[in-house]
Amino acid sequence: MTTPGTTARRGTATAPLRRALRRHPHQLARIAAWSVLEAVPAFLIGHAVARAIEDGFAAGRPATGLAWLAALGAAWLLAAVAARQIVLAVAAVAEPFRDDLLAVVVHGAVRRAAATAGARRDSAAVTRAGLQVELARDAFAAVVTTVRGFAFTVLSVVLGLLTLAPGAAALVLPPFAAGLGLFLASLPALARGQRAFLVADERLAEATTATMGGLRDIAACGAEEREGERLAARVAEQARAARALARVTAVRTAALAVGGWLPVLLLLAGTPWLLRGGAGAGVVVGALAYVTQSLAPALGGFVQGLGVSGVRLAATLDRIAASGTEEAPPVPRLRPEGAEVRLRGVAFAYGPHARPVVADLDLRVPEGEHLAVVGPSGAGKSTLAALVSGLLRPDAGEALIGGVPAACAAPSARVLIPQEAYVFRGTLRDNLTYLAPRAPDGELGRAVAALGAEDLVEAAGGYDAPLDPAVLSAGQRQLVALVRAYLSPARLVVLDEATSCLDPAAEARVERAFARRGGTLVVVAHRITSARRAGRVLLMDGPDVRAGTHDELVRTAPLYADLVGHWQPEPVS
Amino acid sequence: MRAGDRLVMDAVRRGGPWPVVLAVTAVAGAAAELALPYAAGRTVDALTGAFAGGATESSAGVVTGLEEAFAGGAGGWPAACVALVACVMVCESVGVWARGASGARAAALLRRRVLRHVLGAGPAATRRFPEGELATRAGLNAEEAGRAPETVTGALALLVPTAGALVALTLIHPALTVALAAGIVLVLLVLRGFLRTTTAIAGGYQEAQGEIVARLVGALDGARTIAAAGTADREADRVLAPLERLRRHGLALWRANASAGVRAGLVVPLAEVAVLAAGGLLLASGELTVGELYAAARYAVLGSALSTGLGLAGALARARSAGARLADLLAIPRPAYGARGLTGPPAASNGGTSPTGTPSGGMSTAGAPNGGMSPTGTPGREAWSPGTLEFRGVAAHGLAVGDLVVPGGSVTAVVGRSGSGKSLLTALAARLADPERGTILLDGVPLPELSHDELRRAIGCAFDRPVLVGDTIGDAIALGLPVAPSEGVAGAPPAGLPGAPPGGVAAAAAAARADGFVERLPQGYATPLPDAPLSGGERQRIGLARAFAQAGRLLVLDDATSSLDTVTERQVGRALTADPAGRTRLIAAHRVATAARAGLVVWLDDGTVRAKGTHADLWRDPAYRAVFQDPAFGEPSSDQETPHADKPTSPKRAVAQEKTS
Repeated sequence: MTTPGTTARRGTATAPLRRALRRHPHQLARIAAWSVLEAVPAFLIGHAVARAIEDGFAAGRPATGLAWLAALGAAWLLAAVAARQIVLAVAAVAEPFRDDLLAVVVHGAVRRAAATAGARRDSAAVTRAGLQVELARDAFAAVVTTVRGFAFTVLSVVLGLLTLAPGAAALVLPPFAAGLGLFLASLPALARGQRAFLVADERLAEATTATMGGLRDIAACGAEEREGERLAARVAEQARAARALARVTAVRTAALAVGGWLPVLLLLAGTPWLLRGGAGAGVVVGALAYVTQSLAPALGGFVQGLGVSGVRLAATLDRIAASGTEEAPPVPRLRPEGAEVRLRGVAFAYGPHARPVVADLDLRVPEGEHLAVVGPSGAGKSTLAALVSGLLRPDAGEALIGGVPAACAAPSARVLIPQEAYVFRGTLRDNLTYLAPRAPDGELGRAVAALGAEDLVEAAGGYDAPLDPAVLSAGQRQLVALVRAYLSPARLVVLDEATSCLDPAAEARVERAFARRGGTLVVVAHRITSARRAGRVLLMDGPDVRAGTHDELVRTAPLYADLVGHWQPEPVS
Repeated sequence: MRAGDRLVMDAVRRGGPWPVVLAVTAVAGAAAELALPYAAGRTVDALTGAFAGGATESSAGVVTGLEEAFAGGAGGWPAACVALVACVMVCESVGVWARGASGARAAALLRRRVLRHVLGAGPAATRRFPEGELATRAGLNAEEAGRAPETVTGALALLVPTAGALVALTLIHPALTVALAAGIVLVLLVLRGFLRTTTAIAGGYQEAQGEIVARLVGALDGARTIAAAGTADREADRVLAPLERLRRHGLALWRANASAGVRAGLVVPLAEVAVLAAGGLLLASGELTVGELYAAARYAVLGSALSTGLGLAGALARARSAGARLADLLAIPRPAYGARGLTGPPAASNGGTSPTGTPSGGMSTAGAPNGGMSPTGTPGREAWSPGTLEFRGVAAHGLAVGDLVVPGGSVTAVVGRSGSGKSLLTALAARLADPERGTILLDGVPLPELSHDELRRAIGCAFDRPVLVGDTIGDAIALGLPVAPSEGVAGAPPAGLPGAPPGGVAAAAAAARADGFVERLPQGYATPLPDAPLSGGERQRIGLARAFAQAGRLLVLDDATSSLDTVTERQVGRALTADPAGRTRLIAAHRVATAARAGLVVWLDDGTVRAKGTHADLWRDPAYRAVFQDPAFGEPSSDQETPHADKPTSPKRAVAQEKTS
C-alpha cells in the first residue's frame, strides 16, 4: 500500500475523533475544571499524612492529626463528586462521537448498497460495524478518562512532592519518567500486536461460523478432514497472535513496574539523606504515600487506558473508516424529453473476465408502449431493467430515456419497482407517497382503488397508522410498492417481477391499471400471462434477444413456445 | 467432577509449562506484594531510628549508621525491600506473559478438539444446537474456558494479599482490622446496588440499537428501490431516527455508571482514612511506630481489593459454565465408519459405467438384467445393479420405511406432503442420519461398515438450500472431490477464460445448468463466494453441480430443484434422467413433472411408505393426486419459479456464505 493512501485512510479514521473533541469546547473545559478538583486528594495525601504524623500523632496532638485526616477524607468526598461530573462530561462527548460513527456506518452501508443496486448484501458486515461502533465509544471514553486522570494526578503529585520535600521529588521522578518512556516506546509494538490479534480472532470467528453453518454439506461431501485442517490453521494463527500479544504485554507490565516500584526503593534508600535534610519520618511516609497511593495507580490506569483502550480505539476507527464511503461524485441530473426508451449497441458484463449478460443490444420502446420482457431465470432480465432505468451503466453503447443517458435522468423521470418490495417502518401514507410526497388524499384514494389495494389499507388500520413491514405478506408489500410507483410523477415505469407474489387476478388488475396510467411501461414478466397483455414482447436468452408480438414469437421462437407451453398449469386430472 | 471441569483440567494439563509458571508467579508475586509494606515500614523505622540514634554524632557516624542499616544492622529490612520489589516486578511481567500464553494455548487446544468433534458429528450437531450456538460455543466459550487457569491464579493473586492483608493488619493491631472491615462491607453493598441498576437501563439501550439494525437491514433489502429513487441519504437518516432514543438511554446508562463509580471510588480511600485515623491514635499512644502506620495504610488498600475478588469469582463461574457448554458439544455422538470398500466396476470412479453394467463381487444374483425401472421393487436381489440401495426394516425418528429397494441405476422419486419424512429418507440414504432400527445397504454393504472416503465417493447429495463452502465458486463445486481444490484437481485447466476450473467441475456445472451464470460472474469460476451475488435458484444449481461432481454410484436430491424456473428445471431434469454415468438417482421433490419422469415413485404419507409404483399407476388414486395440490407445495402448476425462493437467501444463510472465504 502506498504511503499517501495510508495517510489518507488514517486521516479519515481520526476525523470523527478530532470532530468529537473540537465540537464541545465547553464540555472539555468542564472536564478540566472538575479534574482539578478530582486531583486534590492526589496533591493532599502526602501532606496530610506527613502533617498528621509529624504535627499530630507523633507530636502528641492527636486532634491535629485527626483534623488532617478529616481534611483528606473531605478531599476524597469532593473528588468523588468531581469524578461523577467528569463521567457525565465525558459521556456528553462520547455519545455524539458514537452518533457520528454510526452515521458514517449507516450512510456508507446504504449508499454502497444503492450504488451496487443491492447486488452484494453485507448485512452481516453492517451488524459487525455496529458492534465496532459500541467498542469505539467505550474505548474513546476510557482513553479520555484515563489520559486526563493521569495528567492531572502527575501534576498534583509533582506539586505535592516539591512542596513537601523537594529532595524526594528528585528521587521519585527520574525512575517514574523512565518507566513512562519505556511504556511509550513499547506502544507501537503493542498496537501492532493487538491489531494482529483482532484480525486473527475475527478471521477465526468468521471461519467457525461459516463451517458451523455448513456442517451438513461438509459431511455430505466428505470434506470433514479438509475443513478441519482449514479451521485448525485459523485456530493456530489466532493462538500465535495471542501469544505474541502476551509477550508485548509483558514488556508493558515491566514498564509499569519500573515506573511504579523503583521510586519506592529509591525513596527508601534515600531516606537517611532526606532525614539529614531536615525531613521527619512522617515526611518520608508522606512521600511514600504519594508514590504508592497516587502515582503508581495513575500510571497503571494510563498504561491500561492507552495500551488497551487506545489501541482498540485506533483499530476500530480504522475498521469503521473503511466501512464508510466517500461522497459520491455528483451526477448531472437531466430532465428527459418524454419517456421513450432507447438502447443502442448496449453491452454489459459484471466483470472484465465475465461473459457478457447483454451484448450489442438495440431496443426502442416508444413513449406509451407496454413491453413485456420474458426469458429463463438468469437470462439477464433484471440486468436489462437496471440498464433501462439507469441503475447500471452499459460497458458499451448507450441507454437513453427521452434522449438523455438513463444514468443521468432525474429520479423522478422513471420508477423501477423490483421484486423485493421495500416497505419501511413508518405510516402507510409515508410508504405510499414515498415518490410523491405531496400527493393529495383524493389522488391517493384513486391509486389505491385502481390497483385494488383497499383491503390492504383497511388491514393496515388506515393511512396514518404505524406500519410494521414484518407483519405484511410478500404480496401486500409488493402492493404497497406498486401504489407508490403508480402515484409517482414518473412517465417511465419499470416493473421487475414486481407482481410475483400477487395472485394472477390481482396481477392482471395491476398491469392493466399501469397500462391505463399512460407513459411507457416495461414489465419483466414473472408469468407468461404478463406477456399476453403487453403490446410487444422481448424474449431474452443470453445473447439471443428477439422482440415481437406474442403471436409472432409463438410461431418463430421455439424457446418462447416452450415457455408458453410449460407456463400453463399442468392438468391435474 | 463435572465433565466440563474435567475438560478444562485436561486442557490445562496439556498446556505445557505455562500454567505452572502462572501459578508460581501468581503466588510468589502475591506473597511479595503482601510482605513489601511491612518490610518498607520496618525499613523506615530502622532508618529513622538509626538517624535518631546518630543525630548527635558526627556525619561520619551517620554514614556508619547508614552502612549498618543497609549491611543488616537494621535487621536486613532494606535488602529485603529490594528483593521483594524485584520479585514483584519479575512476577508481574512474567505472570502477564504466562497468563496470555497459557490462555491462548488452552483455548486453542479446546477449540481444535471441539471443532474436530463437531465436524465429525456433522448434521447431528446441527440437529441438536442451532448453528449460531455452535459457533458461539466453539468461539467465545472456548476462549472463556481457556481462561480458567488464569482465573484461578488471578483469584489466588488477589485473595492471598487480601486475606493476608487482613491478617497482617490484625497482627499490627486488631483495632485496625475493625476499621477496615467496616469499609469492606460497604464495598459489597455498593456493588450489589450497582448491578441492579445497570441491567434495567441496558435493556432500553439495546432495544434502540436493535431498532437501528432492523431498519438498516430493511433498507439494505430495499437497495434497488432506494437506488432507483435516489434516496440513499434520506433512507440513512430514517435508519438513524432512533438515535435520539439511543442517546437518551446511553446517557442514563452513563449516569448510573457515574453514581455507582462515585460510591465505589469512595470506599477504598475512606477505609484507608479510617485505618490511618485509628493507627494515628495508636501511634500517639505509643502502641505503633511510624513504619507500622505506613504498613497499616497499605494493608488497608490491599485488603479493600476484595471487591475485585468478587468479580474474579464471577469469572471463574463463567469459565466453569463455558467448560460445561463445550462438554455438551463433545457429548454429541459421532457416526462411526467401517473399513469396507465397495466392489464392482464403478468403485471410486464417477463415470464410465453404463446403467446395465455388470456388477461383480459377493452378490449372488450378479448379472441379473437391470430392472431399474421396476415399479414394484421388492426387497430382494433380483434387481441388483451398481448403486442399489436397500432399506431393511428401517425406522428412524417417526419415519418407518420398512423394506425398500432402490434399484441400481434407477431414477426413483420420493413424494409426499411436507412433513411426511421425505428429507429424513434422503438423509438416511446419504448417511447424514442413522436409523434407530434396521440397516441400509449400498450394493450389499451396510452403510456404517463402509469407510468414510468410500462412502462419500459413492454418494453425492444436493439440497433445497445448499450451503456453499470454499473460497471460490470453483472450490464450492469441487468440495466433494477427493483432492483439495487449491492443490489443483487432476487435469490441467482448459484454456479459455481465466480462472477456468478443472474439467470435472465444468462438466458438473454444465449438467446442473450452472455454467451459464457462473461464466457471467466477474471472475467466472475463480469468483470469491462473497463477491458472487447468487439467487436461491443459482445456489441450488451450484449445489447440484457439487453433487454431480462427487457421486460415484448414488445421487440423492432433497428438493434440490425447487427454486429453478420451468425451463431450467426441465433442462436439469433431462440431464438427471439421462445421466451418462448411470448412477442411481433418489429424488425427493414436490413437482408432478419430477414424479412423472421417475421410473419408481415412493409415496410417503405421515411417516410411512404408503405406496410404491409408477407415477401413472399411482395417479389413479385421488389421494396421491392430492399430494401435488397441497397448498404447502404451491399450486399444482408449481412450474413457475417459486416467488419466495429465488430471492437472495435469508440473512443468516447469507452470513454463513459470506464468511466462507
